[in-house]
Amino acid sequence: MTENNMNPLSTEMLYPVQNGIGNMVRTLFPESAFIINSLISICSLFLLVSLLPVFLIWLERKVAARFQARLGPMRVGYHGLLQSSADGLKLIFKEILKPEGADTFVFFLAPILPASATFLVMAILPFDHHLQVADPAGGVIYVIGISGLSILGILLAGWASNNKYSLLGAMRSGAQMISFEISLTLVMLLIVMLTGTASLREIVLSQQGTVADWWIFKLPGLGLIAFLMYMVSSTAELNRAPFDISEAESELTGGFATEYSGISFAMFFFAEFVNMFVSAGIAATFFLGGFLAPQIGVAFIDPLFAVIPGFVWFFLKTFFVIFLYMWFRWTFPRLRVDQLMYLEWKMLLPANLLLLMSGGFFMAMGGIL
Amino acid sequence: MNLEPVNNFNPDEGGIPEGFSRTSSATKSSEEYFLNMGPQHPSTHGVLRLVLRLDGESVLGVVPHLGYVHRGLEKVAENQTYLQNIHLTDRLDYLSSHINNLGYCMAMEQALDIGIPERGEYIRVMICELQRIQSHLLWWGVSGMDLGAITTFLYGFKERELITDIFEELCGARLTMNFFRPGGSFADVTDGFIPRIKQVIEIMHKALDEYNTLLTGNIIFQERTKNIGILSKETALSYGCSGAVLRASGVSYDVRKNDPYSIYDRFEFDVPIGSIGDCFDRYCLKIEEMAQSVRILEQAVQTFPEGPYRSQQKAVYKLPKGSYYSQVETARGLLGTYIVAEGGPKPYRVKFRSPSFSNLNILNELAVGHKLADIVTILATLDFVVPDLDR
Amino acid sequence: MGVGGASNLTEQVAAIIDRYPGGVKMVDSIEFLVAWARANSMWPLIYGTACCAMEMMAAGSSRHDWARFGVEVARATPRQADLIVLAGTIVEKMGKNLITLYEQMPAPKYVIAMGSCAISGGPFYYDAYSVIKGGDRLIPVDVYVPGCPPRPEALLYGIMELQEKIKKEGRRNPWKIGDILTTPFIDTHTKAKKDWVILEQKKDQEQQAARKQFKLDNPDFKPAKAVRLKKEKFEAIKPETREPQGISNLVLLQKIQLQFPKISVSPQEDILDLTVPRNNYTDLIQFLKQNDELGLDLLLQLSAIDWKDHFDILVHLLSTRDGHKLFLRCRVDKEDPEIDTISNIFRGAEWHEREVYDLFGIRFRNHPDMRRIFLNKDFPGHPLRKDFEDPERVIKRPY
Repeated sequence: MTENNMNPLSTEMLYPVQNGIGNMVRTLFPESAFIINSLISICSLFLLVSLLPVFLIWLERKVAARFQARLGPMRVGYHGLLQSSADGLKLIFKEILKPEGADTFVFFLAPILPASATFLVMAILPFDHHLQVADPAGGVIYVIGISGLSILGILLAGWASNNKYSLLGAMRSGAQMISFEISLTLVMLLIVMLTGTASLREIVLSQQGTVADWWIFKLPGLGLIAFLMYMVSSTAELNRAPFDISEAESELTGGFATEYSGISFAMFFFAEFVNMFVSAGIAATFFLGGFLAPQIGVAFIDPLFAVIPGFVWFFLKTFFVIFLYMWFRWTFPRLRVDQLMYLEWKMLLPANLLLLMSGGFFMAMGGIL
Repeated sequence: MNLEPVNNFNPDEGGIPEGFSRTSSATKSSEEYFLNMGPQHPSTHGVLRLVLRLDGESVLGVVPHLGYVHRGLEKVAENQTYLQNIHLTDRLDYLSSHINNLGYCMAMEQALDIGIPERGEYIRVMICELQRIQSHLLWWGVSGMDLGAITTFLYGFKERELITDIFEELCGARLTMNFFRPGGSFADVTDGFIPRIKQVIEIMHKALDEYNTLLTGNIIFQERTKNIGILSKETALSYGCSGAVLRASGVSYDVRKNDPYSIYDRFEFDVPIGSIGDCFDRYCLKIEEMAQSVRILEQAVQTFPEGPYRSQQKAVYKLPKGSYYSQVETARGLLGTYIVAEGGPKPYRVKFRSPSFSNLNILNELAVGHKLADIVTILATLDFVVPDLDR
Repeated sequence: MGVGGASNLTEQVAAIIDRYPGGVKMVDSIEFLVAWARANSMWPLIYGTACCAMEMMAAGSSRHDWARFGVEVARATPRQADLIVLAGTIVEKMGKNLITLYEQMPAPKYVIAMGSCAISGGPFYYDAYSVIKGGDRLIPVDVYVPGCPPRPEALLYGIMELQEKIKKEGRRNPWKIGDILTTPFIDTHTKAKKDWVILEQKKDQEQQAARKQFKLDNPDFKPAKAVRLKKEKFEAIKPETREPQGISNLVLLQKIQLQFPKISVSPQEDILDLTVPRNNYTDLIQFLKQNDELGLDLLLQLSAIDWKDHFDILVHLLSTRDGHKLFLRCRVDKEDPEIDTISNIFRGAEWHEREVYDLFGIRFRNHPDMRRIFLNKDFPGHPLRKDFEDPERVIKRPY
């Protein structure tokens, strides 16, 4: 498998959509199959990106309502299912305001960056065995690189708004995301080190077997610690509570998005939720066996689980992680900016390095794979 | 009316906002800037306006600007009869409106030599303690929300609604009660009063445990509040603080205990005091106060007497010439009502010594040296109500 | 689409589409969809000044839960808000901020006036010198929710009414910024009262025929007799006397007169009320604060009374240790009222003195920050003076 991956022109690379539709296109139009397949995958991804936040926002509101002994949206559609559609539509048709003294070009460029960054990362998420738009050999590095774009968007937004609250929020956010990216990368690096590949699909495939082969349960205890560390740093990376200091409504009113209205605010808002999905998807890929069906070693249930298509498992696992994010958000109070930095540089980073070293130790002993 | 901006300051041109010349102790570095917080801001609990002098995220000075809901209550009171003024006290500190009513009625009772029957006194104490719990519940929820834990807000309101129901059954109002009169209250309690209080007592025992699990025990919350905004005993006294703010700094002064009114001296309850006067002390103290209020309710429910609920009342009262003062312990601190009478049906001057006014005065002392986010914590634990500040 | 806040471009596009067969239907359905989205997604601005804000918060609490209508996304910044609920009294100083907030909101924007203060000034309609008599004198209001404060259910009903209003918007009935009354303090109550009487008369005339018909139809009908409620009788009760707290008045007075022999007493039963000469004022307070035996360590309040020919400065002190209180009065002349500050002794006096300066116009010598505390800098006069009159702002009580 590793040798195959070394070949840059493997079939999987050329023909990403290797399911029924992909094969059909390949037989019908052998000449232009590559382009058509790419178009199909991009379009379906685009559809997913635009529908996901609508559902996720509804879910967030419903989960929050459950935690808070309320009902949440009820009036629009069945149990408020159309609530976020109404929100989105409203935001599109809202007046767009630009504050006096704002840098017009940067002000309107900023919201596009986080939105496009999430879109780009979505492209390499392995939804199923052959349901992945692209599977570059350095997938992990790609993920880390692209997610830097959203930081840029937030920084630009804060700077261009000509508002002190925005600038404060952006600066906090920049410092926070760049710091936590380090521990996020280190956790990913641990798995990359153990699997010997940076391709997301290969990482999933390295967890084949039973549930005990998932990285979260491997390396007695260390896998779980790594998962928890990923959860903490990715929550910070996502700017979600308890690390939402860049928005910190009770301190900075709206943080970096204070001056944004209408569709440009909607982009930030939606990108936040797609980002959450991407982050949860990566957690599922790295630690929870991605699209692999959970095999618990019971002869009666295992084949039943194996029948269910991989993308269902992927979404189930992803939504489980998303639920964890939501649970964090609606339970914890917010950290202060200096405490956040303390947490990263003095606690998470050394712990991560220690984890990496012990991972290397296990590998050298050869006792894990 | 002048609608032009009046506080237009531009730090780039060397402009310094009002009130800052004296608070500036730090040397002017290039990192220093001013930040306007409010009057419309989620954590100023209404329309308080703060102007902060910041260096990065560190606070160099705070100047609060009041008056964004100054309604001239004391002037309005001079033009209304004594009984009409009771409803104005509701709107002072609307979260302890029953207790405000009581303070005003006590000043009148003192002037007119009116006594209250046993049952009336019990009703007063029980309602005031319910009001205290209700107010603290809202405070707990809102301060949790200020620190980013939004769920606490909803949990606080959940139990608060139960107490609101009791008030609604009593007097038809949920917030501005206007219930007490000189000599008792305007109506007797309903049949559901005692069972409902028993229910509240039962629920509060569980709820307080839940609150401690959700917020007090949370490590992030403790990190955010411990050693933040330390208020020394001397400073607290010098600024005339009262209520939980004063007690958290180690001064044991509770009007209910040290200068008992109504029949508070018949009940057993403790006055919790803090040790160092930081935000966590103020927070724990308020939680403990809720427990003590529940304790008073438990005793009152058991000995609740039968009999008349009020003494003789009149439609128009004329206070004899002189000045009258009463003080009560509201949920926020010491509320003093000072009435100057000239013999007529209307007061000559009414002055409310509102607890929030003195409690907020210390903000600059507490905030300097902390981070921007700590201002929110400090504001939350000072627990002020803006209309009480502005009157 | 002609739905509010549309640019010319969308209007033009709609006009072009209209020309084609089925085009009108298409534009109409898009309009319907947009209006539906706006009605069902109203994000309120976090704005509340006084009591009504509590009921607004209660509307968001678990029991009432305005999230059911999609209103729970409360935004702290006006840029993302669609709805501003005027919860509470609006005073002159807040007025311009409110207008700014409204202007910062993107169109289409809606306003609900919650409670009597935001509708008309409410309990502060008469005699109040700073209250604006209704939010609609500053910004256009869509829905009025009466009550003082209204119940959360009433606010929810107001929101539903607003939803109905928004759903009717479209090209033919576009959203636009409504009209406002230009003078914030004008008396509308007197005129409304006259109109009300005329309306009642009209109603009576209209219903006369119906009444006659009813009597013809039901000759046996007898209106129910009013039942007089049994009047409860209560006895007057003498209050129990309670021992005053702390050091007795006599001891206090002796201790003070030992140091300051010129101080006289105005008798009070349980509180010692001293009249202090001007030249002893600060010295006495300094003495009281520093004397450990008396223990008067807390400044309750510093205030003033306008006695028409002179002012009295009131200083109320309290002992947190023993619980006794001491009240001081100091006379200040009406012409050029000025007195020494005590903010160097009790630091809490600083704000109290600013309040007295603001409302009475008494200046305090050596005060570190002598500014108005409540009112705008350019507010004419000092409202708590008995001779304060401002026909522009104050509506006199008619009785």
